[in-house]
Amino acid sequence: MSELIAVLVVGLGSYLFRSFFIIALANRRIPDRALVALRFVAPAVMAALIVALMTDAEGNVAIGVPEATALLVGGAVASRSRNHIWTLFAGMTVFWVARALL
Amino acid sequence: MSVDRSVARQGVIDALPLFVPAVPFGLVIGLASADSGMNLLVGWSSSWIVFAGAAQLTLISLLGSGAALVAAVGTALVVNARHLMYSAALAPTFQRQPPWFRRLGPYLLIDQVFALVSVRPEEEPDRFRTYYLAVGATFWSLWLVVTALGIVIGPVIPEEWNLEFAVPILFIGLLILGIDRWPKVVAAVAGAATTYLAAGLPNRTGLLVGAGVGILAGTLAEMYRGE
Repeated sequence: MSELIAVLVVGLGSYLFRSFFIIALANRRIPDRALVALRFVAPAVMAALIVALMTDAEGNVAIGVPEATALLVGGAVASRSRNHIWTLFAGMTVFWVARALL
Repeated sequence: MSVDRSVARQGVIDALPLFVPAVPFGLVIGLASADSGMNLLVGWSSSWIVFAGAAQLTLISLLGSGAALVAAVGTALVVNARHLMYSAALAPTFQRQPPWFRRLGPYLLIDQVFALVSVRPEEEPDRFRTYYLAVGATFWSLWLVVTALGIVIGPVIPEEWNLEFAVPILFIGLLILGIDRWPKVVAAVAGAATTYLAAGLPNRTGLLVGAGVGILAGTLAEMYRGE
């Protein structure tokens, strides 16, 4: 039940973000500083999420060499290929191979 | 062929190649739902209730990792806050649209739809609306199918494959692909470092603190750069 509420709240919030200026404030200007800040939402949150997923609830690093290697390779492949499919393929392959070898 | 049909067809054709990179996301969301132990129907329903890959993946993986509800919801909402930008950018174009479309359109306003329609702001309103709906409906229907597929194949895949590790790899991809200027590197580094330092905060709220510090650091770096 609480999961459904979580999904509904995120769904409602997402709709409000997407409709906010279109419906409510169509003729008002969004402050430039707010627009600048919004540009940094994605990199800040993605980096924070990666760290959160790689640490346990006490704040200890919860990954080994295979995971760290796979993340580095995934990042390198993403920056070269600019492609999610290659990133996923390379990252998971390195993860499995490193885990089997180490 | 009427103009409407040709515009709609163009929308579908334009949407298909952009959907390809979203396929692994959709599958991993399905897999993560199956892996997180959450009700599968609820996990899949996020595809049409939330309809945003990164936010869905954030919510499902955080709930699955035992984060508190408020931290998972808060982080997923922060992930989607970027949609405010899209709303602001398209608001003038939507002023020429009927009220029903001003209400429905935002529901379909995901990254890829924005990317395709934002280059057509001067389009005649009927054509713009038809194109927008065709692009949005294409993504929406494919998204529901792909995430359902992930849920179906999720339980069949052996646990020792550790496919849940695909989540941080996809996030690394999103991070790297989104970086086009050094203030974004500042935002990412500050966000990551703060989250690490604040990881001991209760209910994984360190994540929200990290995201906030990262956004602030990036904004300050951009202002410094602009001076």
